[in-house]
Amino acid sequence: MSLFCTLLILGACPSFGCPNLIADSKKGPLVDTINATIEKDSLTNDSAVVQFLPIDRDRSLFTDRNPQSISLPSEDIAHYPAVSLQQYLKDQAVGLYIQESSGEPGTIQPMFIRGLPMPILSQKEVYQSQPLVVLDGIPLISEHPFAYDIQQYDFNRIGPATNLLSNIDMNNIASVQVLKDLAGTAIYGPLGANGVIAITTKQPSPTRKISFNSYVGIAQRPTVTTINGAYENNFRRQFYDRYTASGQYSADDTYPLYLSDSLNTAYYGSSNWTDNYYQNGLVYSADADISGGGDRANFRFAVGHMQNRGVADETGLKRYSALFNINMKPLEWLLFSAMINGNRVQRDRNRTLRDRFATMSYIPDLASPLSPNNDIYRGYLQQFDNSFDNNATNIVEGHAKLVFDFNRLKVTSRVAVDYNEGYRDLFYPRTLMEENSYASNYYGYNQRLLFDNHLSYDVDLGAQHTLYLEAGSTLQWDAFKYNYAYAYKGINDFIKINLLESDPDNLDYLVPQAFPSQLVYKFLDYTKQNLVSFYGRGSYNFNDKYTASLLLRSDGSSNAQPTSRWLFAPVLSLGWNIKNDLMGDDATFSTFNLRASAGRMGRLNVFDNFSQGPSYSAQLSYTGNVVAPGYNGFGVLARPYEFGWSGYGIPWAYTDQLNIGLDMGLADERIRINLDWYTKHDKNQLLGIPSYAEYGYNLSYEAGMDVNNTGVELQLSADVIQRSEGRFSWTPTLAVSYNQNKLTALPGGLDEIVIGNRLFRVGERIDQFWLLQNEGIYLTDAEIPIIGGIPQHFNGIALRAGDPRWVDTNGDNAITDVDKSLIGNIFPKVAGGFMNQFSYGNWSLDANFYFNIGRNVLNADMANRFDFINREGTTNMNSVKEITFWEKRGDYSQYPLYNPWSNVIPYRADQDLFLENGSFVKLRTLSVGYDLSDLLKGRSSTIERLYIYCSGHNLFTLSPYTGRDPELVDYMGYDTGYGMPIPRTYTLGIRMNL
Amino acid sequence: MIMNKYTTNRLVTTSTLCIGVLVAFTLLLSGCKKMLDVDSSRIVGEKYMWNSLEDTRAALMGTYGLMRAALADHNAHWLYGDVRAGEFASPNRQDLRAIIANDLTASYPSLEALSNWRRWYAVINSANIFLERVPEVREKDLRYSVNNMTVDIAQIRFLRAFAYFYMVRIWGDVPLIISSHDGSFENKPRENQDKVLAWAEQEMLAAALDLPYRYSASDEQQQGDYYNEDSGRWDGALARKLTAYAVLAHLAAWQGNYPDAANYSKFVLDDYARAGMGYISTGHLTDANGFFFNKKTNQLFGFAFDWGHVDASFTGHIEELTLAEPVVNKQIPDIYLPKDSIITIFNEAGDERFALDTLGTPVSERYFSNYNGKYPIFSKIKCIMGGVNDPSFRIFTSAIVFTRLEDITLLRAEALAVLGERQGAINLLNEIRTRRGLDPYNEDINGDLINTIFLERQRELMGEGHRWYDLVRYNRIRPSHPMIGQLITNGGILWPVSRALLTQNDQLTQNAYWQ
Repeated sequence: MSLFCTLLILGACPSFGCPNLIADSKKGPLVDTINATIEKDSLTNDSAVVQFLPIDRDRSLFTDRNPQSISLPSEDIAHYPAVSLQQYLKDQAVGLYIQESSGEPGTIQPMFIRGLPMPILSQKEVYQSQPLVVLDGIPLISEHPFAYDIQQYDFNRIGPATNLLSNIDMNNIASVQVLKDLAGTAIYGPLGANGVIAITTKQPSPTRKISFNSYVGIAQRPTVTTINGAYENNFRRQFYDRYTASGQYSADDTYPLYLSDSLNTAYYGSSNWTDNYYQNGLVYSADADISGGGDRANFRFAVGHMQNRGVADETGLKRYSALFNINMKPLEWLLFSAMINGNRVQRDRNRTLRDRFATMSYIPDLASPLSPNNDIYRGYLQQFDNSFDNNATNIVEGHAKLVFDFNRLKVTSRVAVDYNEGYRDLFYPRTLMEENSYASNYYGYNQRLLFDNHLSYDVDLGAQHTLYLEAGSTLQWDAFKYNYAYAYKGINDFIKINLLESDPDNLDYLVPQAFPSQLVYKFLDYTKQNLVSFYGRGSYNFNDKYTASLLLRSDGSSNAQPTSRWLFAPVLSLGWNIKNDLMGDDATFSTFNLRASAGRMGRLNVFDNFSQGPSYSAQLSYTGNVVAPGYNGFGVLARPYEFGWSGYGIPWAYTDQLNIGLDMGLADERIRINLDWYTKHDKNQLLGIPSYAEYGYNLSYEAGMDVNNTGVELQLSADVIQRSEGRFSWTPTLAVSYNQNKLTALPGGLDEIVIGNRLFRVGERIDQFWLLQNEGIYLTDAEIPIIGGIPQHFNGIALRAGDPRWVDTNGDNAITDVDKSLIGNIFPKVAGGFMNQFSYGNWSLDANFYFNIGRNVLNADMANRFDFINREGTTNMNSVKEITFWEKRGDYSQYPLYNPWSNVIPYRADQDLFLENGSFVKLRTLSVGYDLSDLLKGRSSTIERLYIYCSGHNLFTLSPYTGRDPELVDYMGYDTGYGMPIPRTYTLGIRMNL
Repeated sequence: MIMNKYTTNRLVTTSTLCIGVLVAFTLLLSGCKKMLDVDSSRIVGEKYMWNSLEDTRAALMGTYGLMRAALADHNAHWLYGDVRAGEFASPNRQDLRAIIANDLTASYPSLEALSNWRRWYAVINSANIFLERVPEVREKDLRYSVNNMTVDIAQIRFLRAFAYFYMVRIWGDVPLIISSHDGSFENKPRENQDKVLAWAEQEMLAAALDLPYRYSASDEQQQGDYYNEDSGRWDGALARKLTAYAVLAHLAAWQGNYPDAANYSKFVLDDYARAGMGYISTGHLTDANGFFFNKKTNQLFGFAFDWGHVDASFTGHIEELTLAEPVVNKQIPDIYLPKDSIITIFNEAGDERFALDTLGTPVSERYFSNYNGKYPIFSKIKCIMGGVNDPSFRIFTSAIVFTRLEDITLLRAEALAVLGERQGAINLLNEIRTRRGLDPYNEDINGDLINTIFLERQRELMGEGHRWYDLVRYNRIRPSHPMIGQLITNGGILWPVSRALLTQNDQLTQNAYWQ
């Protein structure tokens, strides 16, 4: 392998080496200066700014390939005190939807470009739906979901579970592009099947430049209404008063102890736990960079540090980052460039009981919840002083690139690596958990090695014609691994690690010393995925009027079955510059481009199981014990009955896409419009269909699920008031996308399928809730419909007074799953941002709104509170009461008083009683800044620019949703109450260039 | 000058480049195949399976493990066998209350899981594949002897038949699938339960012929160390000849075929010494590190969670349901036996399992702890961690024991009593009674023989997943229970078939009682 790799350096080319420097149209006058400088440098003759050289030609010809996709320039985006790329981009990119289900800093935030390619049923589908993030041409690797196989609960992945896209410091970024259609994504191959976010770092400049950016601010402690035992008791009393004669529903019924004694100040006293739970969080960031060198060799070096404290439970995140770019031009025809971006991210995680119990896979007795009393709660928190939970992630990516520039022929060869490793070391002392201590250690890495080669030839066909030919290959090796061990019941609380005997001569070598060996569980897992791609592209332009580009590629994946390892995929992109062609002198339109792209792209299998055909694995698990290690001390092999059947003949899944776009500039670019219509058909996808139970399988993975997403995206920006007309300017930008998804086929020609508590029906949306429709309450037994002498049943149980009145859609007087309806949608139909940039003299004001329209939230938190009978006294995760149990959320009065003891579970979550409209508008950023550059010009020659600003974030949310922030929902559309509030943050910042 | 150099350089490089590209491309295409052929390190593909005796061992143990998973899932064995009998009460768990009240279609995850037979068919599929593929190993691996294969096949056939027997008791008619249909699965309708049981009986009889009394213990049917492990590794872990006859006795009794039940159980009672078994004392029965702890030869058919093998688990044990303070850290048990019931059941003085002294206080805490508290804790089985009395950590190691010698003794007593062989029945009954500190059976004091035998079964086998089936058998003989008698008549003793199964397989029908 290595032999021909070396050979290939000769004939080679970078596929991913095409980050587009289409500068994200710069509107703010302040921004112009910076970006313009960079741009000019890149065009300097014989400069060493190699990054753009292969692209420049491309860009000048095919401007219509990638329209503007980000509302604001990256400098403005950098004002947001964000931890992750997702937070930076949430309201910025039309068609990119970000789920921020918790305000806890550094948690995972799924992204979806142009809708959902598949139904989201678990974290595995979330993973498969993520867009590709590309940093300077390096496709970033993310955490493989294989670790969930050993987890009983999938709230968090084992390990640090830190958002790996916390590695982007926006101050180092020159441009961000969200590529949504095949014209932009095809070059990235199957990794980019869900869209691509291409990020380009700032490039070195040949003259010395120094800049410094910093902000400091505070995340404001939220105000909440607390409740105590008396309140909860009163809440429950109303049910007892209504449905019991003596305060006991049945002889075996028990009233929870913590509510029984009204003299118990632990529960009936003051509820002031918030003082130790919520707090103001300090956020700050400081970074500096220097760039310099000469024409033939230059560099840029940036370092930064950022901290972001959460507003609850002492959560927070720290990042240390360094970025180094170097460009060299040792010979006329040889360019060398390298980049390395290193980040260390440390995270302080929440201390919720749920996450702790899920990590431990053990649920202690839940009869007594945490006390709402601050003194007692503080005492509980102090037990954590003796514990630790260290989460660290190192993220490094880098590439080295050689460009052989023989004028018309260019050859690029590149090696790129993305490596990230996570550590989690955890210890809980005995005091925290019924005399059982717990220690766990995790180490895992995700690694991508990339070797790619790109060859381009600019064919000389005379002045009017331009033909640009490219060919390339990519070899990519991905590897994912983790080692994980946990242990219970250490001998004391002083030894906090799982010590092993380290003397190889000792008979007890590697036997645990501090924890009993019978309670030490060890895991390791490793998986690889290799990808080989070849592609060629020819782009032709006629007289700057017509553009056509055809890309043909063939991708081979090690996760595809040997019989269908390769997929051939063509993509055709067309452009018509109508302005140049037909309206040369038209004064109204300054730009008028029509774009279209159509083609196919493969989708990768995530698990290597699918490449193997029928297989055997060591799954002896059952509910509550997912890690049964073997039988009688022997490793076992059986078919993967839990995972599901996967046989032979699994083809590649692929996505067929058509995009038609229109880019217009009116009144000399005063008004800018980008309008896109797309249809995206993700076909032949694998779906785990519950079937073959009589052969032991939980599921059968069958290919043939097709999902269609159609939508319209509009980006409209206008310089409503221009600076030239006075000192005042106003530029509003509206970025709005509409998306509609539809399931168009299920494997095996099925019309519909039930998976878990979801129904998927061909022709319907894939993100609907499947719920019973609630129409009130049966107040008396007499109200219950009787047909043929049989009263209405719910799954075989006769309904009685106090039970809900559910719509019997098929009229058989029996309420079953058949009576459930597909209602609402998890994914918003319309989402977008509305940015406003005002300036007056040296002052500037930004107001950015973010909105979701046409989306539903299921208030599971509320369902849980009402379903207290089923949650009390049992030892399972639904019964866990966090400290936030003592917070009043939502409006209790809008729900009928059912008989909570009824076996029909009247307060079940799967009914529209708890479904609400989750649309919202947020004022995400309000920022005021002042540019001091003019002021300083006369006095200090060193400072080129100085800008100070003060901003507020997440200032208010308008929503009909009665719960908390409607954004805080999980991928199932459930508001479980676990999302930490997204804080209101105020910052003061400075940006300085020397 | 510089220009010249550049041009030459360029020309030379361009031509080498073209050749380079061509050579590289050819090399690459052959290299790609290698690069893309990645064997999974997480699962075993078909080509690496069924090659050696390690594979048969892994598959055999896997089938046992799947059976254990089926029994342990949601504590199914006890929810089917003990909770459904309705004698235990549940203070908090609404799902268990639904089972006690026979509301088996109530929508709780545990009830849905208990109505689903998938886990049993996983055992069956694993067994079917084993039977189809094991000859390949015999061909490929010389170490895999004919005898080893025979014994393996016998165990697999027995496990498969046992799975069907267990399922028939729960659902009645079930699809009878005896080949793997690998990759060409088809939905099958339910087969008449009598046919299924007849088939299972034949299978078990065939298996019984080939099964040894013990493993790695110089049994004539299993010579040498089984899979190179000594008897200590296997004792109690695997199905043996007497296991097959014990289950056959249960199968016959369930069919009401008491003559066969008597015959099969006789086989067990005649030969148990040869199998290294014996009757156990009350102390051993109830010790934290006693009969139920880990694997034991006396577990005639049991599935161990061996402490030393890091098999201890939080769920899949009766302890999870029954234990609470003061035995473990948990305020209220999931199920408990009310005091009145305890007194009615343990109504004889001197019973080592449970008896009250003259002052009304319990003589021992073997079966019940916290007797005078609100919730008497049924603590007969209490294997916490390594068989200790530490209440702090609710991880358990008790085996799931389907049957043991005492069970078969009483089952034979029941059979003989029904068949009219009173003295034989009384002798067997007394085998148990005397070992539990009770006086020999006296009709004047103890009343009717059959009633006494069933009462003895209730006391001895409490919490071992027998009671519900005992009640059904008893009510078939003597319809007395107001509800169960009726349920027998109208098919309500069966469980509903999970709605998920009915959706998947259109050939299936719901049990009449639950329609």
